[in-house]
Amino acid sequence: MRKVGIVGIGTTQFRSRWIEKTYFELAFDAVKSALADAGITRDRIDCVVYGIYNDFFERQFQPDLFVHDYLGMAPKPAIRVSTGGATGGSAISAGFAQIASGLYDVCLVAGVEKSADCFDYETGKSSPEVLKAISYTADMTYEQPTGRTAAGSFALTTIAHREKYGNPTELQMAKVSVKNHTNALLNPVAQSPIALTVDDVMKSPMIAYPFKRYDNCLYSEGSAVLILASEDVARTLKKPPVWIKGIGAALDWAVIGNRQDLYSFESSRIAAKKAYTMAGIHDPVEEIDLAELHDAFTGTELIAYEDCFFCNEGAGGRLIDEGVVMRDGKLPVNVSGGLIGCGHAVGATGIMQANEIVMHLRDEAGRRQIKNAKTGLVQSIGGPGAAWTVCLVLERDEK
Amino acid sequence: MDKQTFLLWAERNARRIGVKKGQVIKAFEKEMMAQAGSDAPFEIPDTMHVNMRYSYGGQSRFFREILENKRLMGTRCGTCGKVFCPPRSHCPVCYEQTAWIELKGTGKLLSYTTVYFATSSYIKRVPYIVAYIKLDGADTAILSNVEMKDIKKAQVGMEVKVMFRKQRDGRITDIYFKEAQ
Ligand SMILES: [Zn+2]
Repeated sequence: MRKVGIVGIGTTQFRSRWIEKTYFELAFDAVKSALADAGITRDRIDCVVYGIYNDFFERQFQPDLFVHDYLGMAPKPAIRVSTGGATGGSAISAGFAQIASGLYDVCLVAGVEKSADCFDYETGKSSPEVLKAISYTADMTYEQPTGRTAAGSFALTTIAHREKYGNPTELQMAKVSVKNHTNALLNPVAQSPIALTVDDVMKSPMIAYPFKRYDNCLYSEGSAVLILASEDVARTLKKPPVWIKGIGAALDWAVIGNRQDLYSFESSRIAAKKAYTMAGIHDPVEEIDLAELHDAFTGTELIAYEDCFFCNEGAGGRLIDEGVVMRDGKLPVNVSGGLIGCGHAVGATGIMQANEIVMHLRDEAGRRQIKNAKTGLVQSIGGPGAAWTVCLVLERDEK
Repeated sequence: MDKQTFLLWAERNARRIGVKKGQVIKAFEKEMMAQAGSDAPFEIPDTMHVNMRYSYGGQSRFFREILENKRLMGTRCGTCGKVFCPPRSHCPVCYEQTAWIELKGTGKLLSYTTVYFATSSYIKRVPYIVAYIKLDGADTAILSNVEMKDIKKAQVGMEVKVMFRKQRDGRITDIYFKEAQ
């Protein structure tokens, strides 16, 4: 297997609505900045992987076809990946395989999502119709008709976890929300940079018990793009490559009632373990300098600490209580603001997370730079109850 | 766009996407009546809609028994003995065909959530409980709604029993659960 490096990155702003851009125009902006970042032109791209989640969001089935057209990538080979919230992580993983296998030398991985074109005329709001478009991802025969929402599927796990271990508590979840909204204040592409208090979170309205308004991420529109290259090519480009040292992925039972246990995300545990083994990581808290975990909900970030082996099962809440995961802690989590602070432009989210890590490993993160960052972790999850997880271990070039 | 043209436009579009004319007017009035420059973003009312005639295939008996006989069925693998509800025509471990069995319809809450903000199709029903229920005699759990007077009293481990709606349509929502007495 060949070494694969990230040689260029580009992320648009994550916003609740990009009324002035279509999805293919948004992708264009991020691709243009990623090419500039890598110091190459579109001719150097051998193949493309598109990460786009929901066809209703884009009002277009196979939207990858029209992004490809707009980018002038014809007739380069391209595939589209769609794995719910994990789409970005899966797209990077698919791109990795294109280069590692020796099939191609340079691969563009482009994630993009619109969502707020979905509109509920009855309430005069986007979000109920966005949730409806997402709801078709649940099992249509037995589960979707019950009215369980995306938040609901993660709430069920959080309640089961609380039942078994007594946490995450309401206060611990609120602390995660405050951390991520506050971290976003330093991120220029973030959608929700807010100086919140624990009290603001606790007093916000209930969405799906036990999640309140500020325990949830918001849906975003945006694009994030990265360029992968083989070692030979990567060494000739203008910036030091960031290496993908480990990749782990799993797809668990999507009908959650088929699982052995409901209180953790088995797919995340498997994916993290695989990624660590491949990267040679034995003690994640000691060896990882920062992590971008999929915090679609505060409760899931706390469970992710356990699933990524930052602590034992049941001890996730302690990491926020003791400040381990704060930006000045031993293992900062979601310095970008995460999905809660930066936003969740589904197909672009996992790539936005990876780009954040790349910026830190290149010492380009400006005011939010984690000093001497050498190794970073990305966790990208999606589907009902985190059926999909992809974990990536990224490393700074030591040459 | 002048007012008269806008109202006709709103009426045509409301009919096209199946919403009330007033709702289109409310959503677009400001934008369409404004003297926006020709480069201002332009939005239209739209929808994506496909009608179906869906076959339950090998799962059909589950829905027919609920609809016609108020009976809750599961399936059992003859090789490993596992009982599935929701039913499966095949065991995912042994890869053998399963057989139908009737379930008692009592069980326990494995986990639950109460939904306060829902999709546009369900938003009028909030708040409501969605829970995983492990039925007595089954090895897997089924997602369903739990109806109770005081929804704050829902808890993991609670004993529940299946209920059949008076009006049944052949959908999973023909059943729901209530606290067992
Ligand atoms: Zn079997």
